[in-house]
Amino acid sequence: MTSASWEAARELLREFPVVDGHNDLPWALREQVRYDLDARDIATHQGAHLHTDLPRLREGGVGAQYWSVYVRSDYAGDKAVSATLEQIDCVRQLLARYPADLRPALTAADMQAARAEGRIASLIGAEGGHSIADSLATLRSLYVLGVRYLTLTHNDNIAWADSATDEPGVGGLSAFGREVVREMNREGMLVDLSHVAATTMRDALDATSAPVIFSHSSSRAVCDHPRNIPDDVLERLPGNGGVAMVTFVPKFVLQVAVDWTAEADANMRAHGFHHLDTTAEAMKVHRAFEESNPRPVATVSTVADHLDHMREVAGIDHLGIGGDYDGTAFTPDGLNDVSGYPNLIAELLDRGWSKPDLAKLTWQNAVRVLGAAEDVARELRATRGPSNATIEELDG
Amino acid sequence: MADLKYELDPSPEVGALDDLPGPPAGKASPSGGDSAEGPDTGLLDRAHALLAEHPVADGYSGLPWALRHLPWFDLELGESAVDTDVPRMREGHVAALFWALHLPEGLAGDQAVGATLDQLDLVKTVVRAHPEGLRLACTPGPITDVQHCGRIAVLPGPAGADAIGDSLGILRSLHGLGLRSLTLSGVSWASEAGLTRFGEEVLREMNRLGVLADLSGASEDTVRRACAVSKAPVLCARSAARALRPHPANLPDELLAELGAVGGLCMVPLTAEQTGPSVRDVADHLDHVREVAGPESVGLSGTYDAGTAHPQDLADASCYPHLVAELLRRGWSETGIALLTWGNVQRVLREADFTAREAQRRREPSTMKISELDG
Repeated sequence: MTSASWEAARELLREFPVVDGHNDLPWALREQVRYDLDARDIATHQGAHLHTDLPRLREGGVGAQYWSVYVRSDYAGDKAVSATLEQIDCVRQLLARYPADLRPALTAADMQAARAEGRIASLIGAEGGHSIADSLATLRSLYVLGVRYLTLTHNDNIAWADSATDEPGVGGLSAFGREVVREMNREGMLVDLSHVAATTMRDALDATSAPVIFSHSSSRAVCDHPRNIPDDVLERLPGNGGVAMVTFVPKFVLQVAVDWTAEADANMRAHGFHHLDTTAEAMKVHRAFEESNPRPVATVSTVADHLDHMREVAGIDHLGIGGDYDGTAFTPDGLNDVSGYPNLIAELLDRGWSKPDLAKLTWQNAVRVLGAAEDVARELRATRGPSNATIEELDG
Repeated sequence: MADLKYELDPSPEVGALDDLPGPPAGKASPSGGDSAEGPDTGLLDRAHALLAEHPVADGYSGLPWALRHLPWFDLELGESAVDTDVPRMREGHVAALFWALHLPEGLAGDQAVGATLDQLDLVKTVVRAHPEGLRLACTPGPITDVQHCGRIAVLPGPAGADAIGDSLGILRSLHGLGLRSLTLSGVSWASEAGLTRFGEEVLREMNRLGVLADLSGASEDTVRRACAVSKAPVLCARSAARALRPHPANLPDELLAELGAVGGLCMVPLTAEQTGPSVRDVADHLDHVREVAGPESVGLSGTYDAGTAHPQDLADASCYPHLVAELLRRGWSETGIALLTWGNVQRVLREADFTAREAQRRREPSTMKISELDG
C-alpha cells in the first residue's frame, strides 16, 4: 500500500464514509465499567481499553455505525430481555452524551442526513433471537426502541433457529422462526444472518420478503469457518437485494488462525473458562497460551481476499463492512481498531477496485438495504396487522 | 436520545382527523338546576354539562390485561366483553385514562420485564387500531392537546415495580417505550420496610424522566419516604379512605394529610371492595379525602376491567355523571368537581414534566446498581 493510495482512500471516505455493521462497544462498556461512561469517555482516546472511540471513528472515516446491543447467548427469557434493554439504554446514553458526533438514526434518510451533517449515524442492532424471548410483541417493542436489525441467533441455538456454531436443532428456522422473519419484514427490522447456520440462512432467504444482511460475516470458500457465508448463499444475494458485510475477526478469516483458535479455546476450557471470557484472569490464560504458541496474524490483505471472492460470487452491489470491533479480542494487522478502515480501502484501490465500487462497499449498499426494508414494511403494514402468534401455537 | 421518542406515537398527529364528537344528545343543559323532570334529572343534566367542560381523567383501567384474552374486540363500536369502550367513555365523559400494565401474580419475577414489553406493545396496537377514539399520550406533559382533538388520551401505566428488573437502565428503556407511572411496591427495594437506598434512587430517576410514582398498595413507610424524596407530585392510583373502609390499599388519615401537604393525588377507586356498594359510599370517600387531603389532592380512578365489583349505578365507564350528580347534590362547587375530574391530574402531569425538565438539566442518568446501594 502506497501513501498515495492511503490518501486517496481517505479522500473517498470523506465522501462515502463507512457504514459498519457491527460494533460491540456497549457490551465492552457493560463488562469493563458497568456503563460508567465517565470511566470510558469516548470523546478522548481510549486505546488502552477499547477499539472504539470518537477520535478513531473519525480517523477511520466511519459515517454510520450499527451499535450492537448483544447479550450473552446463555441468557434466556427475562434475563436476556432485561440485559438487552440495558444495552439499548447504554446506546441512548452515548447518543445523549455526544450529540455533536453521534446522530440517532432510525431510517436510511436519517443516515443520509447524518452524512450531510458530518455526524456518525448511530443505529442499533440486536445480536441474537434470545433477546426477544420468543415474543413478537417484545420484538416490536425493541423496534420502537430503535433496534433496526436482529441477528437471528448468536453462538447457541435458540428454540426457533439454528446457530452456525451449535449442533443442528430445528434444522434451520422453525415455523415460529419464519413468523419472526415475517414480523421483522412487517416492522422494517433487517434480518441479520451472521452467526446462523447455513440451513437457517437458506430458510430465512426463503421466508423473507425484504433484503437481508450479514452484519459481520466473511466468505466460507476463502476460509472454512461456520461463521462465514457459503457461496450458494452469497449467490442468492442479488435476487434478494441483501448485503454481506465482511468481518475482520482473524479467527474467522484466516485459516491458520481458525486452527490456532481451536487449540486456544481448548486450552481456555481446560483452565475452566468460557472461550469468549474477556475478564482479566481469562485473558491472562489466553496470553500465556499465546506466548508459547505465536498467534497467526491476519492482515488487511486477508480481508481483501474475502472481498475479492465475495464480489465475484455476490456482486459489488451486495457487499459491506462489519468490523466487529470491541466484540473480539484480536484484530488483523492494519485493521487494529476503528481507525483502520482507510487501510482496507487503500488495499482495494491497489487491487484495482474503482471509486464507484468502493462507494457501494462503504456506504451505498448498506443505506440502500435499510431503505428497502422500510419500503417493504410500508407495504406489509398496509396489508396485515401485527402478528401475535406464539411459539407454542406454531412449533407445538 | 430524544429523537427515538418521536417514533412512539404513530397515531394521527394533532390536527389530523379533527372531527370532534358532538355534545351528548339532549343532555347538555347549561342553565342546570331543577327542571320540569324533577331534581334528580336536573342534577344529572348539570353533571353532564359540567363533565363536558371538565371531563374525567381516570387513574386506573385494567383494560390491557382484559383485552389480552379476547380473540377479537372492537372498542370503537362498543365491546360488551369489557366495561370500557369508546362509546361508553364518550357517554361518561372520559377524556383520559391510565392503562395499567400490572401483571397477574404468576408473571411477576423472572418474566415481568418481557411481559411488560408485551403489554406496552398491546397498548400501542390497540390504540393504533382505534385512531378515531384513542390516542397514545406517551410523552411527558399535559394531555390537553389530545382532548382538544376530541380523542381520549391513553397513558401507559402504572406498571408493577418488578417490571424494571431492579435496573435503572430498564426503567429508562420502558420510559422510552412510553411508560408514565410505576407502582412502588412488592420488590426488595420498595417493600413493607419502606424504600431502600436503591428505591430512593429509582424514585429520583423517575423524577428525572417524568415517570409518576404510584403508591397505592405501598407500605406506609414507602408512602412517607416517597412523599419526602420525590421532587414531583406522587399519586395513589387507587386508594380510598381507610377511616371509612378498612382495605389495605386505602389510606389512613395521616397519610392522606401528608399526601395533601406535598401536593400529591389520591385517586379514589369506584370499587365496592374499597369504597362500598353504592354511589353514596363513593361520594363519602370523596368527601373525606377532599376534607383531609384537600380539594387539589383528590381524583377519580374507575378501576374498570381490573376484576373487581363496582358500586351500583357505577357499573362501567359511562357512569361518571351519576357520581358527579351525587356530588352536586352534596353541594360540591363546580370548581371542586372540575379539580376532581380533570384539573388535579393535569396539575400532577404538568408538575412532573417541569420537574423532569429541570432535573435533566442538572442530573446525568443514574448508573447506580442495586448491588452497590443495597448491598
